[in-house]
Amino acid sequence: MAETVKLFVNGQEVEVESGKNLIDALKVVGIEIPHFCYHPALGADGNCRMCLVGIEDGRPPLVPACKTPVSEGLKVQLDAEKIRKIQHDVMELELINHPIDCPVCDQAGECALQDYYMTYDHQASRMRVPQVVKEKKLDFGCGVVHDQERCVLCARCVRFTRLITKTGELGIVNRSDEARVTVFPGRQLDNRYALNVVDLCPVGAMTSRDFRFKQRAWFLKRSPSICHGCSMGCNIFIDHNREKGGDDLIYRFRPRHNALVNGYFICDEGRLTYHQENEGRLATAMVDGKDSPLDQAIEMARRKLENARKPVFLLSPNCSLEQMLAIRALAESRKARLSGFSDAYIKNGDGDGWLIQDDKSANRAGLELLGIDTAREGFAQALEDADLLVNFNSMRIVPAAAELAGKIAGLTTIAISSHNGPLTRQAAVALPVSSYSEYGGMVINTNHILQRFAPAVIKNQPAPDMLDLLRQLGCTLTERTDLGKAMQQAIPALAGTDMSAFPAEGLNLKEKETDHVTA
Amino acid sequence: MEVKVLSAKFDIADAHLLEVAKQHGAYATLEKLFAMPPADVIDEVKNSGLRGRGGAGFPAGLKWSFLPKGLDKPVYLAVNSDESEPATFKDRYILTRDPHLLIEGIIICCWAIGCHDCYIYIRGEYTTQRKALQKAIDEAYDAGYLGEKVAGQDFRLDVTVHRGAGAYVCGEETALLESVEGRKGQPRSKPPFPAVAGLYGCPTIINNVQTIASLPFIIANGADAYKAYGTEKSPGTHLFGISGHVERPGMYELPLGLPLLEVIDKVAGGVWKARKLKAVIPGGSSTPVLTPEEAATTTLDYESMAAHKTMFGSGGIVVLDETVDMVRLVKNLIDFYHHESCGQCTPCREGLGWMLKIVKQLLNGEGTTADIDLLRELCDNIEMKTVCVLSAACTMPVRSYLDKFRPEFEAYAADRAKTEAA
Repeated sequence: MAETVKLFVNGQEVEVESGKNLIDALKVVGIEIPHFCYHPALGADGNCRMCLVGIEDGRPPLVPACKTPVSEGLKVQLDAEKIRKIQHDVMELELINHPIDCPVCDQAGECALQDYYMTYDHQASRMRVPQVVKEKKLDFGCGVVHDQERCVLCARCVRFTRLITKTGELGIVNRSDEARVTVFPGRQLDNRYALNVVDLCPVGAMTSRDFRFKQRAWFLKRSPSICHGCSMGCNIFIDHNREKGGDDLIYRFRPRHNALVNGYFICDEGRLTYHQENEGRLATAMVDGKDSPLDQAIEMARRKLENARKPVFLLSPNCSLEQMLAIRALAESRKARLSGFSDAYIKNGDGDGWLIQDDKSANRAGLELLGIDTAREGFAQALEDADLLVNFNSMRIVPAAAELAGKIAGLTTIAISSHNGPLTRQAAVALPVSSYSEYGGMVINTNHILQRFAPAVIKNQPAPDMLDLLRQLGCTLTERTDLGKAMQQAIPALAGTDMSAFPAEGLNLKEKETDHVTA
Repeated sequence: MEVKVLSAKFDIADAHLLEVAKQHGAYATLEKLFAMPPADVIDEVKNSGLRGRGGAGFPAGLKWSFLPKGLDKPVYLAVNSDESEPATFKDRYILTRDPHLLIEGIIICCWAIGCHDCYIYIRGEYTTQRKALQKAIDEAYDAGYLGEKVAGQDFRLDVTVHRGAGAYVCGEETALLESVEGRKGQPRSKPPFPAVAGLYGCPTIINNVQTIASLPFIIANGADAYKAYGTEKSPGTHLFGISGHVERPGMYELPLGLPLLEVIDKVAGGVWKARKLKAVIPGGSSTPVLTPEEAATTTLDYESMAAHKTMFGSGGIVVLDETVDMVRLVKNLIDFYHHESCGQCTPCREGLGWMLKIVKQLLNGEGTTADIDLLRELCDNIEMKTVCVLSAACTMPVRSYLDKFRPEFEAYAADRAKTEAA
């Protein structure tokens, strides 16, 4: 921990990190100060007044915690009668014009108003006069739907578009209790991160058209994971649920804070890639375009591989490091040529210098690190005299290599695929495999951050794990401990790292290398 | 009782013109001023005991001395001419009748605090006043009192008039700064205070028009001459706007410390139509009301007002005769502050609207005594929990009416009880 200061909360001494405000510093030691408008990424605004705390002998004696830095010897009053009364009174005022439509509100279950009501307010309404009427279900663009009546005017969304995206589409118009968040006429939200305002909104005022009315928040399981939408590897929560009689489905991705990678946010495109985890999946094994029992199809694939003289392995830049190591090992034992050709994953000029990257694959850095050739020439050359192509879940080949398409079409192919696609339909054997929301592994992002993720979704009929399939195809490097060793060999920076104590925020391989050099 | 310090040139024809103003002594202090080191000017103003005339009464010289020293940043002066407090009409006289007095005061202040760029924030509705002021500023530039070399000295000073767009809250000093910077006029959280980080993040002094206009007299005649007026702790003179139910409403310059009722009687001709006095609002709508009994022992200075649990405010005295319906007055009062609440922070935004609706309900005969209690409680719940003091400017007077004239409120509530009984 950085430098610390000692201060008193309700008379109790606590030691906290210096340089933070009271909300952030005390949160670390388990003391919650209620707030709506403050957000670590957006700074302190001080408008909600929910975080007012007392400072003993302070001038002024009452301060917003969000704007108050911790300091040595500060005497903070949180449970004093007057502070509890303020929290109670502010909650009453927040709620008098709120529609209290929790039963039909998407935020219910993860709503600051609900939670704080239970903790700090808990009284019947004293409002006997008509409420302020405002606009509802406003289409703000980018799939954001706004309800002005639910809004507590904390201005997080407004500050997000001003401070973070710097697009400034949102503003608060009017004064007093007629104040409301809105967009300029004819100028809706127009940025690639707009849906973050839905996460930022502490109440149900900002909802996502994609998620609205699909699930109650309390039914969702929140599994930490890594977005595979591009090479940034943003940290996410996969919110999923198996409804009675149904399958385990993903309902949304939400950003998960990681200062090393994505901060507090994710892009909209990545956020919506969850649909691809639910849809278009290769459900059954196929032989010559017809459904086949899995074991028979695997046996067919194994024989084809055994009999091939010049097999070519193509692997996806989305594969985990473990999968890549195993595929490489199988390629070596089968004398197959290995290619990570995946130009079609790269969308030149699409990146924005922040989170969105040109490269729409999650682990290209892994390919490079393992020395797997990604050049188009290498792949084209390998195809020349090939008699078998085994495609390890590379979903995008053709757009970047139209002239290879004919060549591939003429080849016997084995498609090991999580999703349906032209290549699976053409394949002599197609084997379904699990996707990243269903397996765990490691990936390296474009900034050389090595990250680990765990399985999130368990399907009713789980597709086989890639490593299982590889083992059944004759790969001998599929055991976790063996793979761990192989990984430590392949990545010098990992040597000596205790993998059970792998840092949650990931490991910067570049920094690690520099460490070694200087040491 | 009346004196002529600030208002010395008010009755002189065309004194707003530089030529006429100069004949009557305008800019005569500058020679003396530029011979004084700035620190001496600040000391002189401190010694004069001049207090901020915007309403809060903070000592002007002391405020200036809060400016951080040795900063590599410009210092700004913002002159608050937003004069929007209901019942207040003093600064407008300076702006139209003697604008050169204000400009001279600005030169004095800027020399003292080392400021080269002054903004005058004038309320949007003051169109005549803005024209008069701008004309005077143009004249001052042409005559060399503003610009690259003020009065031939090696001292640059530029003055810009910034018009507000009609928001009361922009009279709050940090909202004023936001407005000058081109943003929505909403108060900033303090600290930091403007003297440390104000306009464009630079040290800024904000003074009321009348405060600045008091400076030429102090520099010309010395602190002692200024202190000869008023009381020990509230020295000097003040422009009082007396309105309401008096025979001779108007703007009068008086030394501080005079007995309130005597002023109403002798200066403003007493309560009109030989009616009885019901109450006095001592310094603009946001100051708690005084009953006749309280008014009888009140003098027009900061200390006496505080002792009577009210405030000196802006010098806008409103006399209420026996016909005034206090419930309707309170409705009118809350209506104003609700309308002017910037809507930034929760208690003021939500609370004032609720209070307004409760009073309206009461006036409609649909209120109960419980509603009166709720209204009273809301005053406590809202006050001082907010970013600025706008809500307190509403709750403090409302509480005073509720406490001092409660039976009138209950009379409206009782209506309901009667109807229900019938």
